[in-house]
Amino acid sequence: MKAFDYIRPKSLEEAVGHLTQGKRVNILGGGVTLFLQIQNNELTPDVILDVKALPGFHDIRYHHHHGLKLGAAVNLQHLATGLEIRRHYPLLNQTAQELASPQIRNRATIGGTLAWASPVSELVAPMLCYDAVCHTWSPRGTRTIPVSELYLGDFKTALEPDELITHIHLPSFPARTYGVYQRQTIRHDGRRMIAGAATLAIHKHHTLTNWRIAVLGVDDRPKRVPEAEALLEGAPAEADIARALEAVQENIHPQDVVYARSDYRRAVLNALLQRSIHDIISNLQDS
Amino acid sequence: MMISRKPHVIGKPFPLIEAQKKLTGVTCYAGDETITPDMLHARILFSQRPSARFRLDNLDAARHFPGVAALLTGQDLATRMGQTIRDRELLAVERVYFAGQPLAVIAAETPEIADEALALIQVTYEDLPAVLDIEQALTPGGPQVHPDFDDYPGADALNADPQQNIAHSLTFTRGDIEQGFAEADVILERSYTAAHLQHAPMETHGGVAQRQPDGSLTMWMHLQAPFLQRKIIAQALHMDPAQIRIITGCVGGSFGGKVFVSVEGALAAIALQTEGRPVRLLLTREEEFAGTFTAPAMRAHVKMGATRDGRITAIEATYDWDVGASVDAALFHLQAVALAGTGPYAIPNATIRSRAIYTNLLPSAPLRGLGIAQVHWAIEQHVAELAEMLNMNPITMRQWNLVKGGDRLFPNFTMHANGLQTCGLQVIDAINWRPAAPAHSYHAPPGAAPKKRIGQGMAIGWSPIILSDQCGSSVSIRIDKDNLCDIIVDGVDIGQGLYAFVTQLASFELNIPVEWITVEPTDTANYPPDWEATYHNLLWSTGHALLKATAKMKRQILTYLAKVWKEPISNMDIVDGEIISYASRRRFPLLDLLENGAGEETSPPVFSVTATYRPPNAGGSIDSLLQSFAATAYAAEVQVDEKTGGVTILKLAAAADVGHALNPESVKAQIKGGMIQSVSFTLLEEMIFENGVPRSNNFRDYPIATTADMPQQLHPIVVEVPQQSGPYGARDLSHHVQVGAAPAIANAIYRAVGVRIRDLPITAQRIYDAMQAKRAEEA
Amino acid sequence: MKHEIQLIVNGETRSLTVESQQTLLEALREDLGLTGVKHGCSTGECGACSVLLNGEVVNSCMVLAVEAADAEILTAEGLATDEGLHPLQKSFIDHHGVQCGYCASGMLISAKALLNRTSRPHEEEIREALVGNLCRCGAYADIIKSIQVASRARR
Ligand SMILES: Cc1cc2nc3c(=O)[nH]c(=O)nc-3n(C[C@H](O)[C@H](O)[C@H](O)COP(=O)(O)OP(=O)(O)OC[C@H]3O[C@@H](n4cnc5c(N)ncnc54)[C@H](O)[C@@H]3O)c2cc1C
Repeated sequence: MKAFDYIRPKSLEEAVGHLTQGKRVNILGGGVTLFLQIQNNELTPDVILDVKALPGFHDIRYHHHHGLKLGAAVNLQHLATGLEIRRHYPLLNQTAQELASPQIRNRATIGGTLAWASPVSELVAPMLCYDAVCHTWSPRGTRTIPVSELYLGDFKTALEPDELITHIHLPSFPARTYGVYQRQTIRHDGRRMIAGAATLAIHKHHTLTNWRIAVLGVDDRPKRVPEAEALLEGAPAEADIARALEAVQENIHPQDVVYARSDYRRAVLNALLQRSIHDIISNLQDS
Repeated sequence: MMISRKPHVIGKPFPLIEAQKKLTGVTCYAGDETITPDMLHARILFSQRPSARFRLDNLDAARHFPGVAALLTGQDLATRMGQTIRDRELLAVERVYFAGQPLAVIAAETPEIADEALALIQVTYEDLPAVLDIEQALTPGGPQVHPDFDDYPGADALNADPQQNIAHSLTFTRGDIEQGFAEADVILERSYTAAHLQHAPMETHGGVAQRQPDGSLTMWMHLQAPFLQRKIIAQALHMDPAQIRIITGCVGGSFGGKVFVSVEGALAAIALQTEGRPVRLLLTREEEFAGTFTAPAMRAHVKMGATRDGRITAIEATYDWDVGASVDAALFHLQAVALAGTGPYAIPNATIRSRAIYTNLLPSAPLRGLGIAQVHWAIEQHVAELAEMLNMNPITMRQWNLVKGGDRLFPNFTMHANGLQTCGLQVIDAINWRPAAPAHSYHAPPGAAPKKRIGQGMAIGWSPIILSDQCGSSVSIRIDKDNLCDIIVDGVDIGQGLYAFVTQLASFELNIPVEWITVEPTDTANYPPDWEATYHNLLWSTGHALLKATAKMKRQILTYLAKVWKEPISNMDIVDGEIISYASRRRFPLLDLLENGAGEETSPPVFSVTATYRPPNAGGSIDSLLQSFAATAYAAEVQVDEKTGGVTILKLAAAADVGHALNPESVKAQIKGGMIQSVSFTLLEEMIFENGVPRSNNFRDYPIATTADMPQQLHPIVVEVPQQSGPYGARDLSHHVQVGAAPAIANAIYRAVGVRIRDLPITAQRIYDAMQAKRAEEA
Repeated sequence: MKHEIQLIVNGETRSLTVESQQTLLEALREDLGLTGVKHGCSTGECGACSVLLNGEVVNSCMVLAVEAADAEILTAEGLATDEGLHPLQKSFIDHHGVQCGYCASGMLISAKALLNRTSRPHEEEIREALVGNLCRCGAYADIIKSIQVASRARR
């Protein structure tokens, strides 16, 4: 890697100094993506600012009313193993468990994963379903950005270059919330995604409401498909499901990649969603 | 070969002796070689274009960059390399023939300095028409990969048609092919393809080279064929092979990719320029993918005829191999394919063509199995489809046509007793074969949740074991008080367990404890300059040489004591490390003998022997070099998603006939390894080129199987039909463990969802496309 | 930018000076001579460079040396003790968990991380724990078996 300076501020005040000197600063979470970008000369930072010693960045706090606060430097292995996550956000837990390898999960952070705006970033799918909101800080102040508004497509985010994600907030969900994560990849560990989808619904009075469908690999960013979600409200019949699946197809724009054509990605997404929706419905029937 | 005593270590579990060193991090691999602290580091500038004239500018800036010790380009050193045909330049001179071709090599104080200096060189390309696949290569009037082919040293040795980009072509014929098809009731013709693969060893290519004060060169290399490399490098650098010494070390995977010279030539050349400072080269992963070898891609066309009762009467098959811009390393491959091209069937009328086609892609080198796995990809699907046309059980059809012991297959080769039948029967047993239901054809009702469907398939295979006439082996044993038993072999342990095999065999034959034995890595300095040792079929060659050496050694030790005891050695033996006389009942511990001598001789004795084995050579033809065929079979049970084509392998069974499993657990480990690799080759791997430039140059873009891709159940099966002439009846294994895997999986997929995939790898998208096509057809 | 750091490697405190951009892999191999940690890809794909960082398995090619300051690091060299080989090492030897050996030290480290968490993992857990370690020889089945046997032996 080309030479750069490394700093590890212990407070945001300390970070301000480094971010306002006019140098090219890149923010370091787990580095799992950042170091590759530096190796490939996509990024040529003067300074790397490590967020892992900032106060609150490792917080994990759950409150049954207020929901979950996750510090930006919490690593993905915590999401895959943490009891709170497993109990209250099982969809997040399931997705994290399937993501990459222990080596990668032990390093990759929530902040870095959300800031890496790849259309196939798996963790984003459950975050979208759970209405996650990013809390950010920059020398100009703090703000909140819902994850659904974070991505501008084509690997771009709404974050300013000197803006840090400090933590993520997930609202609380009723106990009878069902979620399923499904993906098809070339290699079974998740490498080379063809398509993926997280689907979630809340069980209320023998119906399923608040449907959420978040899709991966079929557009220029991970995204929800509200047009389809609306069609599933209540107790969807086969015809509703078919219409919802159609609505998904109308609202995605998959790209050809060397290992999968766009029409194939569409077909795969369709099959994954069909299965996920049926899974959730049969879950309701079982309970 | 007689087994005189009941084997105590042969045929028993025997863990790899190297294992402990590997597991404690002590083993030295290419990147761990540190010869001196002031070692220099080499980096190579690789071509980014497949076919172009080029110019290098700003060379002086690079040469004089602080920290640079030496720089070489093709202008400084115009020379060609190759074993049979020198169709590759060590450094490109005026034009490039493939992307990934070395243009310049530099040595500097650190790899970073070397990189910075190389980056100063400006490369200007003037693109020339490029040949990027077999189709294009064979199109009349198209561009020619090697316009100067006829001038290359060794070109005469090949049966080439350079205008057509055919680098070499072999044809084997038997019987009367027209008559054979005339006798057939059904004839089936199909095309099959297989993608370029990468060997992708975990340890990238590398090593250290140093010029010695006398002008000779010493190389510490981690490769599979030191003698071959010595010869090729010496020839390219116009040196006497005696002036190059290659000291080998542990190899972190080769699979055929570290047999022939790729970047080692450039390393040797630059090390001659650094005034005796050692130079280390270690490829990055990207360079390993984009700057060494691929395994050739295949395009096959098979036509087969059979009678109504299932007798195969004729086969006409052409196997074309995209060998990239150099055929040299692929020649052996062509021979094997010509011999095995019928599949394991005794077909009276056959014409098999095996052709190497030049393209402007990375040169290829055989990947474990010499293309035989790809041959069976075609044959074993073809036979299954033919059986279906005849309404026959494909297993019965295979059984009826299988080659049998005593079949005179080639003028100079009669088939031996073999395990083809047994392997086939055992694998289907292992997966609980269900007698074939008709291949599934489905019309999924619209709206119904998609189903996953299960199917089973099998394939039988054979692989020729060819001993080229230079392929000998030499073994030296030295027994003294300091080292106890030191054995030097000329083959390299690449993870297949050669050293463990040598230890085991020597311990058995000399009847001494395994702990006394050390196997030394190969050092070419211990052999005459023209020595050519084999790098494959080591069990065979090294085994025979070792048997001779241990016999000589035993005689030497016994003779020594026989003089003292004044007894004939026929009365004497070594038992558990003690020399004994059956007649006089005397005993003498070998360790005491080594320490103090015996009788009048009080100085510690040193025993030393060398023995050489050369395979019998019946004369020039290929079939006379054919030593045997190894049998394998695979059976698979798969689950296929009827909507997406996604495949999960539920069960995979593989059987290999190894003659006699000298170390059964090690044999099973090799089989299991071959199974996992096969799954990877079959479902995942494909080298992708974009306009001739390798795009699969990391493990993200060239995914190889992980634990997540393993079949749920693996059934490795060892079959033992002794090989009369093999050491203890054993036969080599490593080459052929993959043969049959891909077609077994394809046949299983066919049973599950009713579509045949004839292109490797079998991707879910290919299955999906085939299902879509079938649906359209059925509608 | 240079940093003076300390690493507690295999139980021993080592002081060294590193550049910001230097990876932990480079520091371990080149500065501390721990060449049992292998370089396989530099992109976090192969796991040959796996080490335990404060008890958790990471790819040392994807961690800066300076990030690891004051951390405890375990490499394959640190598994054996004066009393002999670690049960995992013994089991890998006995059950053919090693072929060419290049992936072996990384495999051991992933296995160690798993056994630190779960004393008796079942096969599925072992497969998952090894998903970031590539073995081109395809020795996975025997590696899994080696780990299973070692975990039983420990009890
Ligand atoms: C071998 C390998 C396998 C992988 N497999 C998968 C997989 O199966 N599925 C999947 O979805 N992904 C996979 N990934 C991608 C991986 O999940 C992401 O690279 C990772 O989550 C990024 O997190 P990080 O903390 O390491 O980010 P970093 O690399 O540290 O940063 C990524 C980007 O985010 C910025 N950033 C970091 N932290 C913050 C912050 N707090 N605020 C603002 N910006 C920040 C950085 O500047 C950088 O631009 C894989 C990656 C590798 C290398």
